[in-house]
Parts: sequence; C-alpha cells; structure tokens
Amino acid sequence: MDQDAITITLSVNGVSRSLRVQASHTLLKVLRDQLGLTGTKECCSMGECGACTVLVNGRAVNSCLMLAAEADGCEITTIEGLAVDSRLTALQESFLAEGAVQCGFCIPGMVMSAQYLLDHNAHPTEEEIKEGLAGNLCRCAGYSRIIEAVRAASSGVGASTGVAAPSKDAGR
Amino acid sequence: MSVDAPPGFGFRLDRPRTMEEAFDLLARYGPRARLLAGGTDLLVQVRAGKVAPECVIDLKKIGTLRSDIVQTDSFLEIGALALLSDIAGDPRVLEFFPALAEAVATVGSIQIRNRATLPGNICNASPAADTLPALLVHEATVSLQGRSAKRTVPLSDFFLGPGRTVRHDDEIVTSVRLPLPKGREGTAFERLTRRRGVDLATINLCCRVEQSGVTRFAFGAVGPRPVVAADPSGKLAQPGLEAEERDRRIRELVKETSPISDVRASREYRAAMLLVLSRRALERALQRLGGGKGE
Amino acid sequence: MTDWIGRSAQRLGGKERVNGAQKYVGDIRMEGMLHAKMVALNCGHARIVSVDTTGARAVPGVLCILTAHDLPQPVPRFGPTAQDRPVMAVGETKFFGEPVAAVAAETEDAAREAAARVRVVHEKLPGVYTVDHALDPASPLVQDPSLRPKDPLRATNILEELSYGWGDVTSAHADAVFDNVYTFPMVTHFAIEPHVFIAAPEDGGVKVWSPIQHPFILQRTIADCLGLPLAKVRIIAPDSGGAFGGKGYPKFEPLVAFLALATGRPVRLALTLEETFQAGRRMATRVRVRSGFQKDGRIVFQDIQADCLIGAYADIGLRVVEKASYTACGPYRVPHARIHSRALLSHTTPSTAFRGFGVPQMSWAVESQMDEAALGLGMDRVAIRLANLASRGEEFIKGDLPCDGDWRESLQKAAAAIGWGTPLPKGRGRGIALGLKISATYAASYCIVRLHYDGSASLLTGTTDMGQGARTVFAQIVAQELGVPVDRVTVVMGDTAVVPYDTSTSASRSTVIMGSAVLRACGDVKEQVLKLAAELANVPEAEVSFENGIVRSAKGQASLPTLLRDYYGTTRGEVIGVGSFLKRKTPGHPLAGKTVFYELSCSAAEVVVDEETGMATISRYVTVCDVGKALNPQHVEMQDSGAAVMGLGHSLMEHIVLDEDGQIVNLGALDYRIPTIKDIPAVMESFTVENGDGPGPYGAKGVGEGGLLATAAAVGSAVREAIGTPIRDLPLTPERIWQAIQERGAGRPPVGKQARA
Repeated sequence: MDQDAITITLSVNGVSRSLRVQASHTLLKVLRDQLGLTGTKECCSMGECGACTVLVNGRAVNSCLMLAAEADGCEITTIEGLAVDSRLTALQESFLAEGAVQCGFCIPGMVMSAQYLLDHNAHPTEEEIKEGLAGNLCRCAGYSRIIEAVRAASSGVGASTGVAAPSKDAGR
Repeated sequence: MSVDAPPGFGFRLDRPRTMEEAFDLLARYGPRARLLAGGTDLLVQVRAGKVAPECVIDLKKIGTLRSDIVQTDSFLEIGALALLSDIAGDPRVLEFFPALAEAVATVGSIQIRNRATLPGNICNASPAADTLPALLVHEATVSLQGRSAKRTVPLSDFFLGPGRTVRHDDEIVTSVRLPLPKGREGTAFERLTRRRGVDLATINLCCRVEQSGVTRFAFGAVGPRPVVAADPSGKLAQPGLEAEERDRRIRELVKETSPISDVRASREYRAAMLLVLSRRALERALQRLGGGKGE
Repeated sequence: MTDWIGRSAQRLGGKERVNGAQKYVGDIRMEGMLHAKMVALNCGHARIVSVDTTGARAVPGVLCILTAHDLPQPVPRFGPTAQDRPVMAVGETKFFGEPVAAVAAETEDAAREAAARVRVVHEKLPGVYTVDHALDPASPLVQDPSLRPKDPLRATNILEELSYGWGDVTSAHADAVFDNVYTFPMVTHFAIEPHVFIAAPEDGGVKVWSPIQHPFILQRTIADCLGLPLAKVRIIAPDSGGAFGGKGYPKFEPLVAFLALATGRPVRLALTLEETFQAGRRMATRVRVRSGFQKDGRIVFQDIQADCLIGAYADIGLRVVEKASYTACGPYRVPHARIHSRALLSHTTPSTAFRGFGVPQMSWAVESQMDEAALGLGMDRVAIRLANLASRGEEFIKGDLPCDGDWRESLQKAAAAIGWGTPLPKGRGRGIALGLKISATYAASYCIVRLHYDGSASLLTGTTDMGQGARTVFAQIVAQELGVPVDRVTVVMGDTAVVPYDTSTSASRSTVIMGSAVLRACGDVKEQVLKLAAELANVPEAEVSFENGIVRSAKGQASLPTLLRDYYGTTRGEVIGVGSFLKRKTPGHPLAGKTVFYELSCSAAEVVVDEETGMATISRYVTVCDVGKALNPQHVEMQDSGAAVMGLGHSLMEHIVLDEDGQIVNLGALDYRIPTIKDIPAVMESFTVENGDGPGPYGAKGVGEGGLLATAAAVGSAVREAIGTPIRDLPLTPERIWQAIQERGAGRPPVGKQARA
C-alpha cells in the first residue's frame, strides 16, 4: 500500500536520515527494520514494558507507541547513539560494574530511561530513580542492582571503580 | 491472532497544519478517521484490532492547538497538546490543583506521560482514567471546536459510557479549563492498584473540600462513567465529626456508583474500597485545607 | 598472581548488552527472509471443520500457507517426555493458541493480514480447564487414547499417576494431625524477549535459530519431525533474552522448519508477547497435605496428594511432576511418607519447565503446613524446622543422595538476618521457609578447550547463556586453570555444528556439571603443555611444572605464549583439550538416577499489611543459598535476588485467568502483572553459605533456582502472622488478603478458595 507511505526526515543518533515509511509503522519498527538499529527491543508492543524506550527530542518515550511518521523533524537517540567513539558512557560502565546486566534484553530501554532521568536530575533519590524506571520491566534481576548502577553513575562513581572490564569480550 | 480480527491493515496518516484542513479530513472520512495526539491509547487499540481506522489525523502540526498551560484571572487553560509529564510538573498545577498533579503522575510511566495528552485521556473515556476524578471535582470544562461552531461542555456532562463521550465525530478538543480556586481548599487523589508499580486503577477517586466546607467527590472505575457527588452541608469538614456520621455521609455520596466485577477486582471489594479510600482522601484533603501537606 | 575463582569478574558479553550490539534471535536479518504468522482460535477446545485460505492467498506477498494437511501424514508429533504434540493442530485445537494454520509472506504486514483472512470454520467444544474438570469422568478427553494404547489410564485425563514414599502413613501414630489443601495457579515466564524462531534450508538439511536453552534437544526434535539425520540439522542458539525454562523445549521451531522447506527460503516467526504467554506456563497445582507431628514438633508422617494441571501436551510436564513429587517432603527427616501425584491433561497451554521445576508449588503447600503445625503445637516456626531438618550425611529420601550440606546454617543465617524473634509492630508479620530441589540426575556434557598459538584460549561448550552468566563463570575456570586472563578467553556457545554435546542448560546444573567438564578439559590441556615443555627443555615430564600460566623447569621458565611459540615455531599449532562429565541413567531409579547435588535455599520475609485494603508490602526480604563455593559472587547474588523478585511475582500478583471458553483473559502485559522496580522489598539481602562441599569445581554447587523455591511460603507465613489467619491459595493479592480478613473478622473459618488451578 504505497499510497500510505510517507517520506520523513529525521536525525537518528546525530545523523540526518531521509526515509520512506509506511504510515502505520511504528518508530520502533522503522528503527529496527529499516535502519538496522536493533538495539532497541520489541516486547509488549503496548507501552507497558519499556523495552523499546528511545529519546525523542530529549524525552524518553515508548517507540512502539509512536508512528515513525510522527518522528519527522525530530531528533532520535537510541542505545546505539549513547557511546561516543565506541567508548561506553559512565552510565553504561556503571551498569556493568554494578552487576545490573543479566540477559540484557531490558537493558537498552533501561539505560535510555536512566539516561533521561540523569539528564534532568543529576542526583536522584532512590524514590526518584524508581519513579524514573517504573516503566521498564526486568525479569532477570531484582532491580536493586539497576538502582545501584544509576545511583553510582549519578554521583560520578562507577566507570573508574570495580574490576577491569575485559578488553575483548567473548561470545557470539 | 484471532480469525475474528477485522481485515484492513494499514491506514493513511495525515498531518494537517490548520483546523480547517483537519475538519476537511474529518468530513471526508467520518467515523473511519481517528484523531492522534499522544497515540498511547490509539496505537494500542489498533494493534488489538479494536479499531481499524482508514485515516489517522495527527493533530500535532496544527498551529492553533497549544501545548502550553496559560493562567488567566479566573482559570488555568491546559492546551490540547500539553503533555501529561509537563502538566504534572507545572508549578501552577502543583499549587492550585495538587490532586490533579498527583493523579496525572500516576498515569502509566514517564515514557507514556511524555507523549500522552489530557484530551486523549478524556476522550478515550475509560471509566478508570486517573485524570478524571481530579478534573471533575474541580469542575473542569472541555472546549470543543467543530467546523462551524465552538462549544464548552462541563466535564461532568462529557461522558456517556465506557469509550463514549458527547464529542461529535467532527469536533476537536482544543483545551481543558480549570476554574482557579476562589479561596483556600484541600484536595486529595487516591487510587487502588494490584501492585505498587505502574497499574490501571482498581478504583480511583478525588476529594475536594472548600473553605466553606462544601465537599465534593468524584469516583472512577466504579461505573460506566465517573460519578460526581457533593455534600454541601459542610459536615464532612467539621473537626471532631463522628466516624459513624462521616461514614454515613460518604455512603450517601457513593450511592450512585455501580462497581462491577472484572479481571482486576470483584464488585464487593471495589465497593468496600470506595469507603476506605474516600475516608483517606477526605482526611488528606482536610489536612491540606488546614495548610498541611496531606501526605 | 591472579585468582579468578571467587571473584566477581565482569560479565562476558556485558559491553554488547549495554551498547545495543548484542544480537538476539529477533535481531537477525538475512537476505530473502520471509515472515510467518500463526492462525489460532479464540477458545481452548474446538473441532476444526474446515480451513479456507483463499482470501489469505490473495494478499500480495504471501508465499505459503500450511495447515496440518500439508504436513507429512501422520502429522509428526514431538515432546521431550511423550511424543504427543503435533506440529500443528490436527482435527481439534487443544489449547488457546495452538496453531491451525501458518502463513509465510514477504513482509510482516502481509503475513499478519493474510493470517487474519484465513477462515477457520470450527465448532467450540466443552473444555477441561481445572483440576476438577480433569478428574471428572464426564469431561471430554483432552488426548486421543490411541496416543498411549497400552496405558490403563488412556481413557482418562490423567496422563500419569505417581507414587513415592516409605514407611506406613496409615498406621503411624501422631499426637497432632493437620490436613489442608493448597493451590498454586497458572503463571507464565514473561521473559522480556518474546519467542522468535528462524529456519532456513541448508546443505540438504535445515538450520534453525532459536533462543532455545537446550540446542541438542531441539536438534533431535527437528531431525525426528523432518526425517533428517542429526548431521543435517544445525541449531544456532544465540544468548536468549531471559528463558527461565520457558525456552527449554521446542515449541514452534518444527513448524517454522516446515515453512522453510516448503518455501525454500529463510522464514522468521516472531511471536507477540501474547502468543508467548500462550506458548508456555508453570504447572498449576492443588496439593492436599495431611501431616502428623509429635508434641515436640517432630514430623511423624507426610501424606501428600498432588493434582497437577499440566496442559494439553506433556512437554516436560511429566518430569516436573516426578521430580517435584519426589522431594515434596522437603529437606526434613520424615519417618513415614506417602506421596501420590497425578499429572492431569487440560485444554490449556502446555506447562513446561519453569525455574524451580515444581518445587515452588510443593513447598508452598508443605512449608505452609509446617507453619500450621508450629502454630498448632505452640512452637516457634524456626525451631520446628530445626527439629526436623536433615543433617549432613543423613539419608532423608530413602535410597537417594544423603543430605549434602549444613542446612541448619542456611536457616539460622536467614533467621538472624530477618531479625527473627525481635519484636514486631502491629500489622507486620514475619515468615521463613525452606526450599529443596534436586538438580540433574543424569548428564552427558562435553567441552573442548583450544589453547591458541598466542596463548589465548577458546572454550567450546553446549551450555547456553540466558543471562545466568555461564559464559563468564566458565571463562573464569579456564582463566584460573590455564593462567589465561579472562579477557583473553572466548567462550563459544550455541551452535550444534561447532560445540560438543550437552544434555541441557537447566536444573542449576551448569557450573557443577559442565564446569567439571571444563575443569577436565583444562586438565587435558595442562597435561599436554607439560609434555611440550618437557620435550622442549629435554627433561622428564616430572621435572616440569605449570602454574598460573608459567611453565617451569630446572632449565628456566616461560609464559604460555613463549612456550607455544618456541615449540611450534613458524609451523604454528594449538593444544586441544577435551573434558566431559558423563552420568548415565540408572535403570530402576524413579528419577533415572540420584541427584548430583541438592539446591537448598532459605527465604525469609517481613511483611506489612494494610488491613483496610489488603495490600501487602515487603519491608524486608532475605535469601540464603547454599552454594558450596561462589565462583562469581556477584553472579550468585544477581541470580538469587532475581529469583526472589520473580518469586514475589507469583506470591503476590501473578495468575493466569481463563474464561469459560479457555481463553486467557489477562493476556498480555496490561493485565498480567509482574513486579516492577516499585514493587521490590524495601530492604533485600542475599547471603550465601559456602562450605566448599559441592561436587563442582572448587567445591561449588549449583545456584539460580533457590531464590524462588520458598518465596511464597515465606511471604504467606508472614502475611498469616500479620493478619492472624491463613491463606492457602496464591497469589496473595490485596483482594484475597482483604477477603481473608473479612472472613476472620466475621468468625468464619478460613476456607481455601478453590482457585481455578
């Protein structure tokens, strides 16, 4: 149904893109399937789990509830866009150092929500961290290490402490 | 995927820049069109097969629809495109309508509130919508615009049933207005959920006590529409009011509610919780009336 | 010198998980890939009258639509304990979500639209949805009796009846007898990654991608269904996004494989979260426990009758019933035991493995009963457990592995941590409970360690990593044994063409069983390294030593890289070590063998109950697991606390609700509630007991399931103390707690509501 296709121009992780998208396709689908940015995940597809969280013009949103066409003219940041020159951010390092990552499927969304929180509140209380991550479900972890990771990142501790990260990570 | 799902996938998306263009689209597509603001209800319904629009009209490019909050002498006007996250954090909302701020902050998660709008929540007309009780006790009004006419409808007259409002298919909500409180008052919002995390309300309610003692309640998720009730006697605001009398009056106020049993709760539990939460909301509202925090 | 054991080494693959680079099955894209969609009915049991695909075929981009008629006849059936499950519904659908047809199309949109246009004329039939339905002789049979022609129970919905026990409960005398029924509802795994499968024809056979925990089980299932030799079936199992047992056994991979062969192209089937809920769940139970105690608190007998609703097909359900029933009495000394269990078929989602493997259900009943006895006898709930706990070396299950730990230590540690015995404000309660689980009873686990020319190493292993961290722990073992730093170790998993055989990744077995194989493979490498070094230095082997990556002899010392370079020169080469752990099935043993170790866990909770609303919040929560040796302490804690929160889910808020047609009413994330970050206990602590008494590397035992074996019982016990009345059905939702308070207040004895188990 090409009549339902729309051309949009948006910035994704700092790169300007011009795309033809189906009107009914979500931002999540376009990011994953058209732009190959599979870091953002699909889980509930109804805005309940937060696995699809991205930043749109600096705001954390569920990309499964946004039509791609609505992103026309917007700046999108996905999990792939956080690290600079493939160096992890302090927040990402903190997630690793604090043991907040298990299967990892919820992590991109979790990190994006945490990033949004810290962008607006540099030193959140535990309550504020919970409120900020309330829309991100995790089934592996007990959440407490995720809270610690955000707390550690907020006070500037994290990347420089903890055991050394392997320089070459294993596994497929 | 159920074989009963309606056929017809995909839709056209239009992004009108003026109200006129929007009305043209509404006229052309009628009930086959759906309005889109935050999309947090619409996209869920489309995916579930509950609605299959032919044309989705994105309101966000219409210049005259505002996304800010304006304060005049007599009211606070919340623009149609104001985001729930901005509403919950607005200092004027926090000052004049703390129960509304409380309520809005419970809608979904921050990701939802960064997209969702008040008209969206209102027009979706779920009886359990968390924004409604606070809006109702504050006698909010809804401004609608059609191609040839504008009108303002009290929110208490807005709902016909679950998912149904008095909005005509060719009308667009342009703002929600809240009359500024005339004197000191205390309000409090309460909701009951199945878990402490993000959840739909089993029941929700808001209580507003004015300096005069007039006490209003609005109850949600206990009937096909939110129920508003008022006790003008001032008795509920009296210090030292006996618990029995208080409960008797509250029971009178909840008379019009008709809670049902569903996957979230039984009728019996809902009915019992109406009393429990009403007492708590009243107590907190009275504390706020007295200058306290009402936590 | 670096000691890699007992160290919280950072997770391998962690970087990719935080920067979005990790590729799960759903992230794989390939040239020419088609998209599939299944067609299912909106009821649990229906007769398929006809399937009309004309409208569906007219959708542009549709390449293939399969129904049971298009498959080899008779339609292949599979299943790990009974080969009863057809690749697609044949003649009747047996559960809400069973596929009647499957579409493959160029795009997801086309597949979805075509699936919606498939017209299935069907006749809804009465279904079996509860334990009572299943036991009612008037109920329809879920399975065709011809599937088990020699089974005397074939004309019933009882798939299997089991009896375990010893002594004589009927004649044993007890001072006090307690008799109650406990129910545990259906709940689902809800991993954040929904199921996704890809299949593609390859090399005269087929290649299948699945987040499967047990690639070799999937391999033989596909081979059997498609009539292919194992060597022509290649399974790629990328690390999953959470599994918890729900991705252990094949579900729709055979169907996708048939679609791939029919179209000649790769086919991808991505289930929605709703379809994932329909694909797997935990076994639901109704357990009656009749217990006899002496006045002094000692158990005289346990008489347990467990009715287990396993679903439309056996999946691994029979094994769950067997294992959980076998240990139903818990970690205690029980002079007389009679355990009688029934695995019941129903027109519901086939239950499958789920963390805990039936023990959470049994311990909910038996541990709650311990509390009942304590109350009835006027004893402290910790004291009554101490009085009955098996001691190290004691054979508490007749004929099986004796108690292999100091279990008192776990109980006492948990009690101390929760402040047992200290005063509690009104409206609060404390509870404590123990969970005991059997691990693997047979195993065939192999691995290969390749020491490369430059001294780095690769480990090839059939274990999979679903987030529990096996990859990292194995790398630590290699690092420790060979002196190769962890960041110079690669762990290769998840490709049956590359990694050697492993029975499964389940039962908390991997650290012990595959870990032992890894240890042995490293030993094999070390032996060979000693040979090379001796040859190079021209000394006898006995005069060479290898420790921490350094080879020493009287002639000097060299690091591994230097040694290898010196030995192989420009010819180059590598050292390959093989390790295995083989424990063959024991004929005649009810579980096919004694367990390799027991997983023992203690959970304690402090709960605050708002009596007006029934809302219970956990103010404090403690888990203690008996791990032998924590190879990676951080990983242990992560698993234990994660399990605890998952357990809080089924304790407080999770249950699958069916309507009268067998449809799941709360299907999807909106109304199936799992704990969020705001639902965790205010204070949560995880402890370990490490006595180095496990059979695994460095004295390790397994871990990962313990944290939720006894959560429900601990929380239930705490709630009971807080409100003064017991509740015997899960979950302990606010409404259920409120209801119990109403009944208590009205002086009505608490009646266990027969939940739709």
